[in-house]
This record gives sequence, structure tokens and C-alpha cells, in this order.
Amino acid sequence: MASSILLLFVCIQNKPEKTFSANYISIQQDTLLTASMKRGKVVYEDFCMQCHMETGEGIPGTFPPLAQADFLLENRVKAIKAVKYGLKGEVKVNGAIYTSIMAPLGLYDDEVADVMNYILNSWNNTSSKMVTEKEVAQIEK
Amino acid sequence: MKKGTLVFLALLTTFLACGQNPKEVKANDIPITVSEAYSHEVIVPDLINPWGMAFLPDGSLLVTEKSGELIHFKEGVKTEISGVPEVYNRGQGGLLDIRLSPDYANDNWIYITYSSTEGDEKGGNTALMRAKLSGNSLTDQEVLYKASPNTTKGQHWGSRIVFDNSGHVYFTAGERGERDVNPQDVTRDNGKVYRLNLDGSIPSDNPFVGQANAKAAIWSYGHRNPQGMIIHPETQEIWVHEHGPRGGDEINVIKKGANYGWPVITYGINYSGTAITDETKKEGMEQPLYYWVPSIAPSGMALVTGNKYPELSGNILVGSLKFVYLEALYLANDKVVKREKLLDGIGRVRNVVQGPDGFVYVGVEGVGIVKLIKN
Repeated sequence: MASSILLLFVCIQNKPEKTFSANYISIQQDTLLTASMKRGKVVYEDFCMQCHMETGEGIPGTFPPLAQADFLLENRVKAIKAVKYGLKGEVKVNGAIYTSIMAPLGLYDDEVADVMNYILNSWNNTSSKMVTEKEVAQIEK
Repeated sequence: MKKGTLVFLALLTTFLACGQNPKEVKANDIPITVSEAYSHEVIVPDLINPWGMAFLPDGSLLVTEKSGELIHFKEGVKTEISGVPEVYNRGQGGLLDIRLSPDYANDNWIYITYSSTEGDEKGGNTALMRAKLSGNSLTDQEVLYKASPNTTKGQHWGSRIVFDNSGHVYFTAGERGERDVNPQDVTRDNGKVYRLNLDGSIPSDNPFVGQANAKAAIWSYGHRNPQGMIIHPETQEIWVHEHGPRGGDEINVIKKGANYGWPVITYGINYSGTAITDETKKEGMEQPLYYWVPSIAPSGMALVTGNKYPELSGNILVGSLKFVYLEALYLANDKVVKREKLLDGIGRVRNVVQGPDGFVYVGVEGVGIVKLIKN
């Protein structure tokens, strides 16, 4: 339920496009984004939820939050890299230090894109640019 | 409007979070305290996910990395063993447990569980193999069991291996994220503890032998995701712990043919906070020896013996992935009477074994293999 409200929120955010073509792209992206987020939710519940929890709040002190997380929202490439290859070493999220390792998940590039779209547009997170399989494929370790 | 939405969502989140708390406390639980009596020494550094380990007779160590590498650690040097089967390194799957045959000195068999893609369907499922170490390669590989069907889900593979003293190997396979299909059905793999003869054949006294369509290798069922298993050195009982959902991790004493209830009975709830079932007890289903609420995400289990750690002797150790410590559960008459956090904050504890030298070795994600030291 929360995610559908958020979707609405994302759509409202995307509205002030001016030209016809920009509008067309925006609408097309919304449709693609919705489909990607739907697939991404399935990936999230299988691979991510046990640590980051159902609404992205994480576990204080151990697993960082994804909801309203500055690290995630401000480091697009690093975030994609973490989902694609895993993450080791210290990260600072919303002022708190996390050191737990995230082992590589073994996801395909399209699944990384889908779960990133789900995470970047859920729990009050918003992202103006959709993550694509091509973008994920270009990100190297 | 925008501001209103934000406030609404913030309130909704708070409401949901608060609404879940009352269910996530275990009534009359044994309180856990932090013990400062132990420290650690890193033995094998720089491992990502040291899932399983086995000591060879010369004191060197075999370690599985979930990603698929088998590492031989001898006199401070890591050597990667070649010829390891290809593993389906996805989600919780990969190269899993490793144990030496009880008669290793004579038969040289090494038993390994892993996520295998063998079969026609896309994806993978848990397999048990035995093989030999010849120099730096894994040879004479025999797949003894492969659960089916394959699925691309990342969840719940198990798996741990133990042996009894009468020629059987036991291993576990989780329910592969199909809780309503697999665990309660003995004609299907997954959500099970299995028992085989050491050569992989099925013992004639297994509980479901002769039952129509049943998987005859099954020893017990109704499990979710067992990632810890021991054989009690005195009673020869098999003890297994398993991950619950949100709450409801359990330690169970395994009986032949018994049903451990998942998902019909559980002390846990869905990740969303909604109920799976109201029932925690039912006739014909076993009750755990102990259960955790909230979940600690248990992985690895050891029953400590000998005199290296007098206080821990006769008690069990369980790794916590979620709360990053090693839990000591002190027992009296098969009941948990005291709990302590050892190595609090060390990292995600994946595995714990007692070595042939009597010391306890702990596999920690991102850290390596560490030795438990009594201060």
C-alpha cells in the first residue's frame, strides 16, 4: 500500500514537463519504471529484506537503512555497485557507521536494475532517472 | 499536498513500526548478557563468507567460501583447491558446508553441500557430494543427493552436514522460499533433514521408506532453513537450529520421521508484520527446545566438550548473523538456563566448530576464521 502511494508521489513529481516529446518520454519512463519496480519488489523480498527489512529501515547498528538513506540517494553508482558486486568496508549512512559485509548476491544485471528502481522509489525515496540494465552492465567492480 | 503526503507517510511508518513491537518480544525469555570473558585471534584472515570448515588430520584447515572457492589453509598459506564443482552462487546459495568422513584416516572422503544447477529446470537446489583431496585438487567426486526441482529463488538452501557413529550422514536443505509447497510434503524435497548411508544409498530403516511417492531420504520435515546442526556426543541425538521468519528461530532435537511444523505452527510473523498463523502448538508437531524472538538469524552450531573452556563445556554455541555475535546457550537437563553474547560486535557469525585441538573456531563474514580465546 505504501509503495502505491509513493508511486503516485513519484508521478506528481514528474509532472512539470513542458514539451510534447519530454512528456512522452516521461510517461513512457513511468510505465517502464512501474513494471521494473514490480519485478524489483520480488527481488527485494527474496534477496534484501532479511537484512534491510520490509520497509527499508534496516537494523540499527548492523544493517544500514535504505529508506531515506543519504548514502544510497547521493551515490547512485556506488549503490548499484554494492548490489551488483557486494560491499565491504565502512559506510556512513545518515551519520552512522556500518561495517557489516554484504556478500555478492549473484543477481543478473536486469535484476540489479529492477531492485534499484524499487529501492530508489519506495519508502519516500525518489529518483528522477530510472536505472537500466545497460547502466548496470557498464558499472565495473 | 506534498508536505501532507510526507507527514502521512512518516506517521504511517511510525504506526507500522510501533504496531509490530508487542509481538516481537518473547515472554519469560532467558535474558542475554554480554560476556567479557572471551576474546579472539584471527587465524585465517580476509575471507568474505567462510561458510564451512573442516580440519584435516595434519592440523591444516579446509574452508569453503560461499562464492565457490575451496581454500586449504596450511602453515599460514592459503591455497585454492581446483576442481571444485560449479556452484549456483545466488542469494543464500553457493558452496556451503564441508565435513570429513568419520573414518577419514582410512577412506579419505570429504562431504560437501552446495547449490547445484544439475537438472533440466532453470536455477538450482541443494546437493550433497563426497570427494577426495589429491594434492591441490578435488577428485573422485560423487554426487550423493540432489534436491529437486531447481528454482531461481535465492532463499533457503540450508545446509549443514553431520555424521552419527553408525554409518550415516545427515544433511539439511531449506524450503527454497516455497513455504506453502515444500516443508509439509514428504513427497517433495526441501524443508527437510535427510539421512543417507555414507555411500549415498538410502538406509532401509529411514522413516518414509516404502511410503508411496515419498522421498525416502527424508529423516524429518516441516523445517524452514536449517543452517546449524550437531550430533550430541553423549546421546547421539541430532540437534538442528533453523531460521524463523521475523521471530521464531528454533533449536530442535530431531526425531525420526517427526514434523517440526513450518509453516503450520511458528513463533514468527511475516516480514511485513502480519501473522503467518495464530498457532504455535499442534498435535503431531514438535516443539522446539528453544526459540528466539526477535530472530538472531542463527548459522553454525557447536556443542563444546573438553577442558579448554570449562564454563562452556557441555553447552552450545550458535552464530548470529543478524546481531553479529556468538551466542552461548547454557543447558541443564536439555533446557536453556542461561544465555551470553560472546565476541559481541565481531561481525556476521556464519559458522562455529570445535577443532580437534579442543579450541573453538568461528567463521565470521568479512573477517575470516577466528579462534575463541578465554581471557
